[in-house]
Amino acid sequence: MASSDNQLVILDGVRTPFARMGSDLAGIDAVELGRQAVVALLARTGLDPDLVDETIFGCVSQPAEAANIARVIALRAGIPKSKPAMTVHRNCASSLESLTSAAEKMAAGRGQIYIVGGTESMSRIPFYYPQATAEKFTALSRARSLGQRIALMAKFRPADFAPRIGLKMGLTDPVVGLNMGETAEVLARELGITRREQDAFALASHLKACASSGKLAEEIAPFYLPDSMAGFMAEDNGPRANQTPEALAKLKSVFEPGTGTVTAGNSSQITDGAVALLVATRRRAESLGLQPLGRLVDYAWWGCDPERMGLGPVGAIRRVAATSGLRPDQADTIEINEAFAAQVLGVAKKLASEDASLTIPMEKLNPNGGAIALGHPVGATGGRLILTALKELARNGGKRALVSLCIGGGQGGAAWFEREA
Amino acid sequence: MSSLFTSTFSDGRFTITFDRPDSAANIFDPATLQALEELVDSVTRLPSAKSLVFRTAKDSIFVAGADLNVLENASPEDLEMFLIQGQRVFQKIAGLSCITVAEIHGACLGGGCELALACDWRVASDDRSTKIGLPETQLGILPAWGGSSRLPRLIGLPAALDLILGGKQLAGRQAKKLGLVDGVAARERLGTLTDQLLAKGKPKRPSHWLTNNPLSALVIRRVAGGKAQARSRGNYPAIDAALQVVSQAVSGSLTDSMTRERAAVRILATSPEARQLLRVFHLQERARKFHFSPDPVTPNTVSRVAVIGAGVMGSGIAQWLAARKIPVLLRDIDPARVGAGLRSVKQLFSDAVKHRVFTETEAHRLSGNVIPSATVVPMQSIDLVIEAAVEDLEIKRKIFRDLAGRTRADTILATNTSALPVSQLAEDSEIGRRDRLIGLHFFNPVARMQLVEIVTTPHTSPEVVETALAFVRKLGKLPVVVGDRPGFLVNRILMPYLIEAGRLFDAGWDAKLIDEAMLDFGMPMGPLRLLDEVGLDVALHVAHTMQGAFGDRFAIPQILDRLVQNGFFGRKTGEGIFEHKKSKGKTVSDNALVRRAHGTAPANLPEKTAVAERLALLMVNEATRCLEEGVAHSEDDVDFAMIFGTGFAPFRGGPIAWAKALGWPVVREKLEALAAREGEAFTPSDWIRSQPG
Repeated sequence: MASSDNQLVILDGVRTPFARMGSDLAGIDAVELGRQAVVALLARTGLDPDLVDETIFGCVSQPAEAANIARVIALRAGIPKSKPAMTVHRNCASSLESLTSAAEKMAAGRGQIYIVGGTESMSRIPFYYPQATAEKFTALSRARSLGQRIALMAKFRPADFAPRIGLKMGLTDPVVGLNMGETAEVLARELGITRREQDAFALASHLKACASSGKLAEEIAPFYLPDSMAGFMAEDNGPRANQTPEALAKLKSVFEPGTGTVTAGNSSQITDGAVALLVATRRRAESLGLQPLGRLVDYAWWGCDPERMGLGPVGAIRRVAATSGLRPDQADTIEINEAFAAQVLGVAKKLASEDASLTIPMEKLNPNGGAIALGHPVGATGGRLILTALKELARNGGKRALVSLCIGGGQGGAAWFEREA
Repeated sequence: MSSLFTSTFSDGRFTITFDRPDSAANIFDPATLQALEELVDSVTRLPSAKSLVFRTAKDSIFVAGADLNVLENASPEDLEMFLIQGQRVFQKIAGLSCITVAEIHGACLGGGCELALACDWRVASDDRSTKIGLPETQLGILPAWGGSSRLPRLIGLPAALDLILGGKQLAGRQAKKLGLVDGVAARERLGTLTDQLLAKGKPKRPSHWLTNNPLSALVIRRVAGGKAQARSRGNYPAIDAALQVVSQAVSGSLTDSMTRERAAVRILATSPEARQLLRVFHLQERARKFHFSPDPVTPNTVSRVAVIGAGVMGSGIAQWLAARKIPVLLRDIDPARVGAGLRSVKQLFSDAVKHRVFTETEAHRLSGNVIPSATVVPMQSIDLVIEAAVEDLEIKRKIFRDLAGRTRADTILATNTSALPVSQLAEDSEIGRRDRLIGLHFFNPVARMQLVEIVTTPHTSPEVVETALAFVRKLGKLPVVVGDRPGFLVNRILMPYLIEAGRLFDAGWDAKLIDEAMLDFGMPMGPLRLLDEVGLDVALHVAHTMQGAFGDRFAIPQILDRLVQNGFFGRKTGEGIFEHKKSKGKTVSDNALVRRAHGTAPANLPEKTAVAERLALLMVNEATRCLEEGVAHSEDDVDFAMIFGTGFAPFRGGPIAWAKALGWPVVREKLEALAAREGEAFTPSDWIRSQPG
């Protein structure tokens, strides 16, 4: 890792409330989600925007109208035009990637203060026309005479207007052709994870998230909605306080009808939200006189079989243990993203069976609930895990946090953080 | 003199570039016109000249118009000479056999616009600074270098009347839509447009026969005259004269029409209305430049502002700042209030888009300058705080004590209070900012009201005053520096007038008589209507504060108390003195009528003019007290503030100018007579008594 001076420290962070797809934030695009997160971050830190060297944001489904969404967010949030911005994409770990990218730039002496984070409006992932339809439209736009236009219009068929759903395409692995939920079913089958285990895990996620709503509020800035009567939204709307095991048990398997175990109830929620973190080199943080929340100790990326993408954390945690010497039992809090209950349980099972020293202490895992309750706005989740973990360390007085995610396409990421006392 | 503009001649094209030395503006004075005439004459003698192009070397001005000094100070003979000279030069341009083009970039007003109208073609830049129009009627005169005659021929009578009577100034694209210019492009591309137009030769213009025939002109004149009358109520002779001259211009010869232009200006220029309107223009210019401190003090730059309180005023101020690219922290105590404030900000931006002040994209970007905050956040980067919380001194004290601990020592703390004493906050030792705590009083609605009162205390440092002045100007608002007495200047003068109007209504007078009297007088709105707009609750609160300080001439008529107690606050609640829902404010509210002390009017109600005089005299009386007490620093300040803060009849030049026109002895006499009959509110001030005469 970098010399102590150039080490990345996290100064502060804030996120929007997370809202289920199609709910309170459905009318808000990913730019506005990200903008409000960055504006709230700048307001609460009082940082002069002129000091920001670069803005790096993750976003999985970048809106067509905001190419390089990080730049659009930075400009809209009042970061000076002279400060560059870039968007990173590592699927579900995009906003962890934004942080590790900043760390690498710091280590290389390229900059000292970054705003990193992620944003995702899953409500607004577009529907697409089939390629054949698009070709017909193109031909139509080139038509010269009215006659040509009428002739071309007559060629359209109802099937031309059947959309290809962007969200569905994004959640399907193009290489192996499996939907993410189907990859979770693979793990459940191969590792023998039962429906009951998955539902119990999901229920716990909801219960923990509801019990922790006060704690989670520490990381949330109200999201302002000038167009709605409420005027703002201040809490996540995913966690269900009234969730019962019976209700979970009733849900049907989505990805393997009839025989499967993965349901909407034990999968992560599809969600809108954004998170922003202010990070700096240790030296710069000291010169600003700001007390960091924590520092990035080490991290690792790992590739695995796309068909078993949910096991990505296994390799990543193993690898970062090799470079840093840190094992899960040394963590005071652990955040592993709950893409699917089957997948998190699979990771735990696999780690314990492969190398007992890397066993996940389950009582330290996701103490405030996870994506099954809070939701998984894919581009923003990594940042949320870091923020939740660091705030948890500050609350419980612990020292180390482990953050890990599985990544669609067959990857895993893991990072260790230490609280700065 | 050749340096007033530069000229070049090549390839048959003669180019004249206006570039008045040592000035940001180009204007037409006799010397400039003479030099221009010589140049035009030389073009006439150049057989090889195929075209003549006018342009500007200035950043934001083509030609701003005629030199107002000539208009104000010249003898009638010299003025006539000046009019003839301008008409002759522009006639020569119009008569050239080569093709003429005006490349308009920046302000092209009055005489500048008339020059452009004399050209064959006009092209305009799409720059923000480009404004084309004939605003002469706003100064009490009319376009008399051919503008009143050429414009209706070019764009048709209805559009020309609309522009000239309203004194409207058009952006390039609007001018194109009306046919006033023939092309719009970026400044750098105006030459390309010129080339394209020159290739077409001399233009063929539509005749506008449908509107410009004598019969139609008569009808149009009557309709436009009716509209103008409704607005001006016969108080603006220039409007009536312009209506006549412009309507007549569409028939008969151009020369006759231009003779009528001159005849009209000869009479108008010496009218008291024109004198006052010109003075108002100068007062406005003065507010854009003047310094308060005798010694030069460099103002500090204000680049980041915090507004405390996201109510109507707070969000209005925040929106205005954001629209001027100033990042502004909008703070209130909970997200619901902040959210409501952001909703108002958004509404104001959509209004601005609707009125074409901004494009959607601009409004979207600018609205991002408002940074919402419902929690305590660092304020070290804030240069100016404007507090716009509730009108409660103890709450304000608490807010400023907290702010003092969290802002830099050099941050200016300002309160937007409309009546509370600023000194009590400045002198609070726990706030400890006596030299840097001032009042910055914006008027409601912020987006529409131009005036901002800068309230100083005896402790205010000169640098803070200058910084506040520079800041208010940077916002595009007009500042006036006033002393710290309850109500400051504008509300102080306005309040006795509003109270008296309320008192008369309570005594059974017809609300329409009262409001109509003041509309006839030249106020933009009647006093009772104004009370409803301000909000009876707000007016009551301000009046209470002032009654405490100044005694019973600020005693509130009971009708207002009763209406407020019953929840009738004026327009915002749908009902006050008037009914605002069904009748949209046209009828008097039944709830107000039944709550009056006297249901029927006394016999022998006075004429409207006497009612207006009585009400206006109260403003004069209070204005002189403000001068006595040092609330206003000069008579000019009083008139300026009342005109730009309340719309006080501009052609009367403000309350002091109006009183002077009556004569101080007359003012005193009338007030004494009223005092004997109506009570001591009318007792003339010492200031009035001490006036000679």
